Amino acid sequence: MLTKVFATIAVVITGGLLLYGVSDFPAFGDPHSPANAGVGNEESISQYFITQTYKDTKVPNIVTAVLADYRGYDTMFETVVIFAAGIAIFAILRVTGNEAEKKSIKPPLDSSINGDHQRIIVGTTCRIVIPVVQMFALYVVAHGHHSPGGGFQGGVILGASFILVAMSEDLNAALRRFSEKTYLTLACVGILIYAGFGLMCQFLERNFLDYGILQKVLFTDGPEMARSHSMLGVEVGVAFTVTAIMFAIYANLSSRGVLKNGL
Amino acid sequence: MIITIISMALVVGGLVFFLGASTGLIRFPDFYTRMHAAGKGDTLSSLLVLLGFAVYQLKDFQSFSENWLVLLVIVKLLGISAFILLTSPTSTHALMDAGWEDEVEPEIQKGRENHLNDDYPKF
Repeated sequence: MLTKVFATIAVVITGGLLLYGVSDFPAFGDPHSPANAGVGNEESISQYFITQTYKDTKVPNIVTAVLADYRGYDTMFETVVIFAAGIAIFAILRVTGNEAEKKSIKPPLDSSINGDHQRIIVGTTCRIVIPVVQMFALYVVAHGHHSPGGGFQGGVILGASFILVAMSEDLNAALRRFSEKTYLTLACVGILIYAGFGLMCQFLERNFLDYGILQKVLFTDGPEMARSHSMLGVEVGVAFTVTAIMFAIYANLSSRGVLKNGL
Repeated sequence: MIITIISMALVVGGLVFFLGASTGLIRFPDFYTRMHAAGKGDTLSSLLVLLGFAVYQLKDFQSFSENWLVLLVIVKLLGISAFILLTSPTSTHALMDAGWEDEVEPEIQKGRENHLNDDYPKF
Protein backbone atom coordinates (compact mmCIF):
# COMPACT_ATOMS: atom_id res chain seq x y z
CA MET A 1 0.00 0.00 0.00
CA LEU A 2 2.70 2.44 1.07
CA THR A 3 4.81 1.63 -1.99
CA LYS A 4 1.85 2.40 -4.22
CA VAL A 5 1.41 5.78 -2.57
CA PHE A 6 5.07 6.63 -3.08
CA ALA A 7 5.00 5.34 -6.66
CA THR A 8 1.96 7.52 -7.41
CA ILE A 9 3.68 10.57 -5.90
CA ALA A 10 6.80 9.91 -7.98
CA VAL A 11 4.77 9.48 -11.17
CA VAL A 12 2.77 12.65 -10.54
CA ILE A 13 5.90 14.69 -9.82
CA THR A 14 7.71 13.37 -12.91
CA GLY A 15 4.69 13.93 -15.12
CA GLY A 16 4.24 17.45 -13.73
CA LEU A 17 7.88 18.29 -14.40
CA LEU A 18 7.61 16.98 -17.94
CA LEU A 19 4.46 19.00 -18.61
CA TYR A 20 6.16 22.08 -17.10
CA GLY A 21 9.09 21.52 -19.45
CA VAL A 22 6.78 21.13 -22.47
CA SER A 23 5.21 24.52 -21.76
CA ASP A 24 8.54 26.18 -22.63
CA PHE A 25 8.56 24.65 -26.12
CA PRO A 26 7.60 26.79 -29.11
CA ALA A 27 4.12 26.10 -30.47
CA PHE A 28 3.76 23.23 -32.95
CA GLY A 29 4.76 24.39 -36.43
CA ASP A 30 5.75 27.86 -35.20
CA PRO A 31 7.66 29.46 -38.12
CA HIS A 32 9.62 31.75 -35.78
CA SER A 33 10.97 29.05 -33.48
CA PRO A 34 14.77 28.60 -33.59
CA ALA A 35 14.44 25.15 -35.11
CA ASN A 36 12.56 26.54 -38.10
CA ALA A 37 13.85 30.09 -38.51
CA GLY A 38 17.40 29.78 -37.22
CA VAL A 39 19.14 31.94 -34.61
CA GLY A 40 19.78 35.55 -35.65
CA ASN A 41 20.82 35.62 -39.30
CA GLU A 42 22.11 32.06 -39.20
CA GLU A 43 20.20 29.61 -41.33
CA SER A 44 18.66 26.73 -39.35
CA ILE A 45 19.47 23.12 -40.21
CA SER A 46 15.91 22.39 -41.39
CA GLN A 47 16.08 25.35 -43.78
CA TYR A 48 19.34 23.95 -45.12
CA PHE A 49 17.82 20.51 -45.69
CA ILE A 50 14.69 21.88 -47.35
CA THR A 51 16.55 24.16 -49.74
CA GLN A 52 19.75 22.23 -50.40
CA THR A 53 18.90 18.51 -50.28
CA TYR A 54 17.86 18.24 -53.90
CA LYS A 55 20.90 20.20 -55.09
CA ASP A 56 23.26 18.10 -52.95
CA THR A 57 21.92 14.64 -53.62
CA LYS A 58 19.29 14.70 -56.42
CA VAL A 59 16.94 12.88 -54.04
CA PRO A 60 13.42 14.37 -53.82
CA ASN A 61 12.54 12.60 -50.56
CA ILE A 62 14.21 14.77 -47.91
CA VAL A 63 13.55 12.29 -45.11
CA THR A 64 15.44 9.49 -46.84
CA ALA A 65 18.28 11.86 -47.75
CA VAL A 66 18.64 12.95 -44.12
CA LEU A 67 18.43 9.40 -42.78
CA ALA A 68 20.66 7.62 -45.26
CA ASP A 69 23.14 10.34 -46.16
CA TYR A 70 23.45 13.33 -43.81
CA ARG A 71 22.81 11.13 -40.77
CA GLY A 72 24.19 7.88 -42.18
CA TYR A 73 25.99 6.89 -38.98
CA ASP A 74 22.73 6.92 -37.03
CA THR A 75 20.92 4.72 -39.53
CA MET A 76 23.84 2.32 -39.76
CA PHE A 77 23.84 1.72 -36.03
CA GLU A 78 20.02 1.48 -36.01
CA THR A 79 20.51 -1.44 -38.38
CA VAL A 80 23.13 -2.84 -36.02
CA VAL A 81 20.62 -2.54 -33.15
CA ILE A 82 18.09 -4.61 -35.11
CA PHE A 83 20.81 -7.12 -35.93
CA ALA A 84 21.82 -7.31 -32.27
CA ALA A 85 18.19 -7.82 -31.19
CA GLY A 86 17.82 -10.69 -33.64
CA ILE A 87 21.09 -12.29 -32.55
CA ALA A 88 20.10 -11.92 -28.88
CA ILE A 89 16.79 -13.69 -29.47
CA PHE A 90 18.65 -16.36 -31.44
CA ALA A 91 21.19 -16.80 -28.62
CA ILE A 92 18.54 -17.05 -25.90
CA LEU A 93 15.95 -19.22 -27.61
CA ARG A 94 17.71 -21.48 -30.09
CA VAL A 95 18.15 -25.03 -28.82
CA THR A 96 19.51 -28.15 -30.51
CA GLY A 97 20.00 -31.83 -29.71
CA ASN A 98 18.34 -33.47 -26.73
CA GLU A 99 16.87 -30.26 -25.36
CA ALA A 100 15.12 -29.65 -28.68
CA GLU A 101 13.35 -33.02 -28.39
CA LYS A 102 11.93 -32.02 -25.02
CA LYS A 103 10.87 -28.53 -26.01
CA SER A 104 9.39 -29.21 -29.45
CA ILE A 105 5.72 -28.37 -29.90
CA LYS A 106 3.28 -30.98 -31.18
CA PRO A 107 2.02 -30.27 -34.71
CA PRO A 108 -1.36 -28.50 -34.67
CA LEU A 109 -4.69 -30.32 -34.87
CA ASP A 110 -5.59 -31.68 -38.24
CA SER A 111 -9.16 -30.39 -38.28
CA SER A 112 -10.61 -27.21 -39.66
CA ILE A 113 -13.89 -25.41 -39.21
CA ASN A 114 -15.09 -26.18 -42.74
CA GLY A 115 -14.28 -29.88 -42.38
CA ASP A 116 -11.36 -30.08 -44.78
CA HIS A 117 -7.88 -30.86 -43.60
CA GLN A 118 -6.02 -28.73 -46.13
CA ARG A 119 -6.65 -25.16 -44.91
CA ILE A 120 -7.71 -24.55 -48.48
CA ILE A 121 -9.08 -21.03 -48.00
CA VAL A 122 -6.09 -19.60 -46.17
CA GLY A 123 -3.65 -21.46 -48.44
CA THR A 124 -5.20 -20.21 -51.67
CA THR A 125 -5.44 -16.60 -50.52
CA CYS A 126 -1.85 -16.61 -49.33
CA ARG A 127 -0.70 -18.10 -52.63
CA ILE A 128 -2.34 -15.18 -54.44
CA VAL A 129 -1.32 -12.47 -51.97
CA ILE A 130 2.29 -13.37 -51.11
CA PRO A 131 3.85 -12.61 -54.55
CA VAL A 132 2.04 -9.26 -54.67
CA VAL A 133 3.25 -8.44 -51.15
CA GLN A 134 6.82 -9.32 -52.05
CA MET A 135 6.77 -7.24 -55.22
CA PHE A 136 5.35 -4.33 -53.26
CA ALA A 137 8.12 -4.75 -50.69
CA LEU A 138 10.79 -4.59 -53.40
CA TYR A 139 9.09 -1.48 -54.80
CA VAL A 140 9.13 0.16 -51.36
CA VAL A 141 12.85 -0.60 -50.99
CA ALA A 142 13.86 0.46 -54.49
CA HIS A 143 11.68 3.59 -54.52
CA GLY A 144 12.61 4.69 -51.00
CA HIS A 145 14.51 7.77 -52.12
CA HIS A 146 11.70 9.03 -54.38
CA SER A 147 8.57 8.31 -52.34
CA PRO A 148 7.77 7.35 -48.74
CA GLY A 149 9.44 4.07 -47.89
CA GLY A 150 12.95 2.71 -47.68
CA GLY A 151 14.94 -0.16 -46.31
CA PHE A 152 13.28 -0.56 -42.94
CA GLN A 153 9.70 -0.46 -44.23
CA GLY A 154 10.37 -2.61 -47.28
CA GLY A 155 12.35 -5.10 -45.20
CA VAL A 156 9.52 -5.42 -42.71
CA ILE A 157 7.01 -6.06 -45.52
CA LEU A 158 9.31 -8.64 -47.11
CA GLY A 159 9.88 -10.36 -43.76
CA ALA A 160 6.12 -10.35 -43.12
CA SER A 161 5.56 -12.14 -46.43
CA PHE A 162 7.83 -14.98 -45.28
CA ILE A 163 6.01 -15.04 -41.94
CA LEU A 164 2.79 -15.37 -43.95
CA VAL A 165 4.24 -18.44 -45.69
CA ALA A 166 5.03 -19.91 -42.27
CA MET A 167 1.51 -19.19 -41.02
CA SER A 168 -0.40 -20.40 -44.07
CA GLU A 169 1.47 -23.68 -44.44
CA ASP A 170 3.86 -24.38 -41.57
CA LEU A 171 7.25 -23.31 -40.35
CA ASN A 172 9.02 -26.12 -42.20
CA ALA A 173 7.66 -24.89 -45.54
CA ALA A 174 8.93 -21.40 -44.83
CA LEU A 175 12.32 -22.73 -43.70
CA ARG A 176 12.67 -24.69 -46.93
CA ARG A 177 12.48 -21.37 -48.81
CA PHE A 178 14.42 -19.26 -46.29
CA SER A 179 16.60 -21.51 -44.19
CA GLU A 180 18.37 -20.66 -40.96
CA LYS A 181 21.71 -20.52 -42.72
CA THR A 182 20.31 -18.15 -45.35
CA TYR A 183 18.77 -15.70 -42.95
CA LEU A 184 21.75 -15.51 -40.65
CA THR A 185 24.01 -14.92 -43.66
CA LEU A 186 21.62 -12.34 -45.09
CA ALA A 187 21.49 -10.41 -41.81
CA CYS A 188 25.29 -10.13 -41.76
CA VAL A 189 25.51 -9.35 -45.49
CA GLY A 190 23.08 -6.45 -45.07
CA ILE A 191 25.23 -4.72 -42.49
CA LEU A 192 28.37 -5.52 -44.50
CA ILE A 193 26.83 -3.78 -47.52
CA TYR A 194 26.08 -0.69 -45.45
CA ALA A 195 29.49 -0.59 -43.78
CA GLY A 196 31.13 -1.45 -47.09
CA PHE A 197 29.73 1.71 -48.68
CA GLY A 198 31.21 3.66 -45.78
CA LEU A 199 34.56 1.90 -45.96
CA MET A 200 34.80 2.38 -49.71
CA CYS A 201 34.65 6.15 -49.13
CA GLN A 202 37.57 5.82 -46.71
CA PHE A 203 39.65 3.95 -49.27
CA LEU A 204 39.05 6.88 -51.63
CA GLU A 205 40.46 9.23 -48.96
CA ARG A 206 37.24 10.74 -47.67
CA ASN A 207 35.33 10.39 -44.40
CA PHE A 208 33.37 7.28 -43.53
CA LEU A 209 29.96 7.33 -45.33
CA ASP A 210 30.83 10.45 -47.37
CA TYR A 211 29.24 9.09 -50.54
CA GLY A 212 30.09 11.93 -52.92
CA ILE A 213 33.53 10.53 -53.71
CA LEU A 214 31.99 7.26 -54.91
CA GLN A 215 31.48 8.86 -58.34
CA LYS A 216 34.89 7.43 -59.16
CA VAL A 217 33.63 3.91 -58.54
CA LEU A 218 30.03 4.23 -59.73
CA PHE A 219 30.96 6.23 -62.89
CA THR A 220 28.25 8.86 -62.38
CA ASP A 221 28.17 12.41 -63.73
CA GLY A 222 28.92 14.07 -60.40
CA PRO A 223 28.92 13.59 -56.66
CA GLU A 224 25.12 14.21 -56.51
CA MET A 225 24.15 11.11 -58.46
CA ALA A 226 26.79 9.10 -56.60
CA ARG A 227 25.11 10.06 -53.32
CA SER A 228 21.69 9.12 -54.73
CA HIS A 229 22.87 5.69 -55.90
CA SER A 230 24.76 5.04 -52.66
CA MET A 231 21.57 5.76 -50.72
CA LEU A 232 19.80 3.09 -52.76
CA GLY A 233 22.61 0.64 -52.05
CA VAL A 234 22.50 1.39 -48.35
CA GLU A 235 18.72 0.93 -48.31
CA VAL A 236 19.14 -2.49 -49.91
CA GLY A 237 21.58 -3.44 -47.15
CA VAL A 238 19.13 -2.30 -44.46
CA ALA A 239 16.33 -4.24 -46.17
CA PHE A 240 18.43 -7.45 -46.14
CA THR A 241 19.09 -7.22 -42.42
CA VAL A 242 15.54 -6.27 -41.45
CA THR A 243 13.99 -9.04 -43.58
CA ALA A 244 16.27 -11.69 -42.14
CA ILE A 245 15.89 -10.57 -38.53
CA MET A 246 12.07 -10.26 -38.79
CA PHE A 247 11.82 -13.83 -39.98
CA ALA A 248 14.45 -15.07 -37.51
CA ILE A 249 12.52 -13.58 -34.58
CA TYR A 250 9.24 -15.13 -35.74
CA ALA A 251 10.79 -18.54 -36.44
CA ASN A 252 12.55 -18.74 -33.07
CA LEU A 253 9.65 -17.42 -31.01
CA SER A 254 6.92 -19.50 -32.65
CA SER A 255 8.76 -22.81 -32.30
CA ARG A 256 10.47 -22.11 -28.91
CA GLY A 257 13.83 -22.17 -30.66
CA VAL A 258 13.50 -25.67 -32.08
CA LEU A 259 12.73 -24.48 -35.64
CA LYS A 260 10.42 -27.43 -36.19
CA ASN A 261 6.61 -27.61 -36.46
CA GLY A 262 5.94 -24.36 -34.64
CA LEU A 263 2.57 -22.66 -34.86
CA MET B 1 -22.76 17.45 -58.70
CA ILE B 2 -24.17 14.02 -59.48
CA ILE B 3 -20.74 12.50 -58.86
CA THR B 4 -20.61 14.10 -55.41
CA ILE B 5 -24.05 12.69 -54.57
CA ILE B 6 -23.10 9.18 -55.71
CA SER B 7 -19.86 9.20 -53.73
CA MET B 8 -21.60 10.58 -50.65
CA ALA B 9 -24.23 7.85 -50.90
CA LEU B 10 -21.50 5.20 -51.11
CA VAL B 11 -19.55 6.59 -48.14
CA VAL B 12 -22.67 6.99 -46.00
CA GLY B 13 -23.74 3.45 -46.91
CA GLY B 14 -20.31 2.24 -45.83
CA LEU B 15 -20.64 4.06 -42.53
CA VAL B 16 -24.05 2.45 -41.93
CA PHE B 17 -22.51 -0.98 -42.41
CA PHE B 18 -19.63 0.02 -40.09
CA LEU B 19 -22.25 0.89 -37.46
CA GLY B 20 -23.89 -2.50 -37.97
CA ALA B 21 -20.53 -4.28 -37.69
CA SER B 22 -19.57 -2.55 -34.47
CA THR B 23 -23.05 -3.08 -32.97
CA GLY B 24 -22.79 -6.77 -33.80
CA LEU B 25 -19.30 -6.95 -32.32
CA ILE B 26 -20.61 -5.65 -29.02
CA ARG B 27 -24.06 -7.26 -28.87
CA PHE B 28 -23.68 -10.78 -30.30
CA PRO B 29 -23.39 -13.58 -27.74
CA ASP B 30 -20.27 -15.60 -28.63
CA PHE B 31 -16.96 -15.54 -30.48
CA TYR B 32 -18.22 -16.95 -33.79
CA THR B 33 -21.19 -14.64 -34.24
CA ARG B 34 -19.09 -11.65 -33.27
CA MET B 35 -16.47 -12.53 -35.87
CA HIS B 36 -19.30 -13.01 -38.37
CA ALA B 37 -20.54 -9.47 -37.78
CA ALA B 38 -17.07 -7.91 -37.75
CA GLY B 39 -15.81 -9.79 -40.82
CA LYS B 40 -18.79 -9.20 -43.08
CA GLY B 41 -19.56 -5.65 -41.99
CA ASP B 42 -15.94 -4.51 -42.10
CA THR B 43 -15.30 -5.89 -45.57
CA LEU B 44 -18.39 -4.43 -47.21
CA SER B 45 -18.16 -1.08 -45.49
CA SER B 46 -14.46 -0.59 -46.29
CA LEU B 47 -15.21 -1.47 -49.91
CA LEU B 48 -18.10 1.00 -50.08
CA VAL B 49 -16.10 3.82 -48.51
CA LEU B 50 -13.12 3.25 -50.82
CA LEU B 51 -15.38 3.06 -53.88
CA GLY B 52 -16.97 6.31 -52.75
CA PHE B 53 -13.51 7.90 -52.66
CA ALA B 54 -12.73 6.50 -56.12
CA VAL B 55 -15.94 7.96 -57.55
CA TYR B 56 -15.22 11.31 -55.90
CA GLN B 57 -11.84 11.43 -57.68
CA LEU B 58 -13.70 11.54 -61.02
CA LYS B 59 -14.95 15.02 -60.12
CA ASP B 60 -11.86 16.75 -61.49
CA PHE B 61 -11.59 14.51 -64.54
CA GLN B 62 -11.65 16.49 -67.79
CA SER B 63 -9.55 14.68 -70.40
CA PHE B 64 -7.27 11.70 -70.34
CA SER B 65 -4.12 13.54 -71.42
CA GLU B 66 -4.43 16.19 -68.70
CA ASN B 67 -5.91 14.20 -65.83
CA TRP B 68 -4.32 10.78 -66.09
CA LEU B 69 -2.94 11.21 -62.56
CA VAL B 70 -6.53 11.10 -61.30
CA LEU B 71 -6.96 7.74 -63.00
CA LEU B 72 -3.78 6.57 -61.25
CA VAL B 73 -5.33 7.42 -57.87
CA ILE B 74 -8.49 5.53 -58.84
CA VAL B 75 -6.47 2.49 -59.86
CA LYS B 76 -4.65 2.57 -56.52
CA LEU B 77 -7.95 2.81 -54.62
CA LEU B 78 -9.35 -0.10 -56.61
CA GLY B 79 -6.17 -2.05 -55.85
CA ILE B 80 -6.65 -1.46 -52.13
CA SER B 81 -10.30 -2.55 -52.49
CA ALA B 82 -9.28 -5.77 -54.21
CA PHE B 83 -6.70 -6.45 -51.48
CA ILE B 84 -9.31 -5.94 -48.74
CA LEU B 85 -11.87 -8.04 -50.60
CA LEU B 86 -9.34 -10.87 -50.71
CA THR B 87 -7.69 -10.69 -47.30
CA SER B 88 -10.37 -9.52 -44.88
CA PRO B 89 -12.70 -12.54 -45.23
CA THR B 90 -9.68 -14.85 -45.19
CA SER B 91 -8.38 -13.40 -41.94
CA THR B 92 -11.86 -13.73 -40.39
CA HIS B 93 -11.94 -17.35 -41.50
CA ALA B 94 -8.45 -18.01 -40.14
CA LEU B 95 -9.39 -16.47 -36.79
CA MET B 96 -12.57 -18.58 -36.56
CA ASP B 97 -10.60 -21.67 -37.54
CA ALA B 98 -8.07 -20.94 -34.79
CA GLY B 99 -10.97 -20.58 -32.34
CA TRP B 100 -12.41 -23.92 -33.44
CA GLU B 101 -9.03 -25.61 -33.09
CA ASP B 102 -8.66 -24.06 -29.65
CA GLU B 103 -12.07 -25.54 -28.76
CA VAL B 104 -13.94 -22.31 -28.15
CA GLU B 105 -17.52 -23.44 -27.47
CA PRO B 106 -20.17 -21.83 -29.66
CA GLU B 107 -23.30 -20.65 -27.89
CA ILE B 108 -26.15 -22.72 -29.25
CA GLN B 109 -29.93 -22.43 -29.01
CA LYS B 110 -31.43 -25.16 -26.77
CA GLY B 111 -32.42 -28.24 -28.75
CA ARG B 112 -30.26 -27.44 -31.75
CA GLU B 113 -26.99 -28.95 -30.49
CA ASN B 114 -27.27 -31.90 -32.86
CA HIS B 115 -26.67 -30.05 -36.08
CA LEU B 116 -23.10 -29.33 -35.01
CA ASN B 117 -22.29 -33.05 -35.15
CA ASP B 118 -23.60 -33.50 -38.69
CA ASP B 119 -20.42 -33.11 -40.66
CA TYR B 120 -17.89 -31.62 -38.25
CA PRO B 121 -15.39 -33.59 -36.22
CA LYS B 122 -16.31 -33.77 -32.55
CA PHE B 123 -14.14 -32.12 -29.92
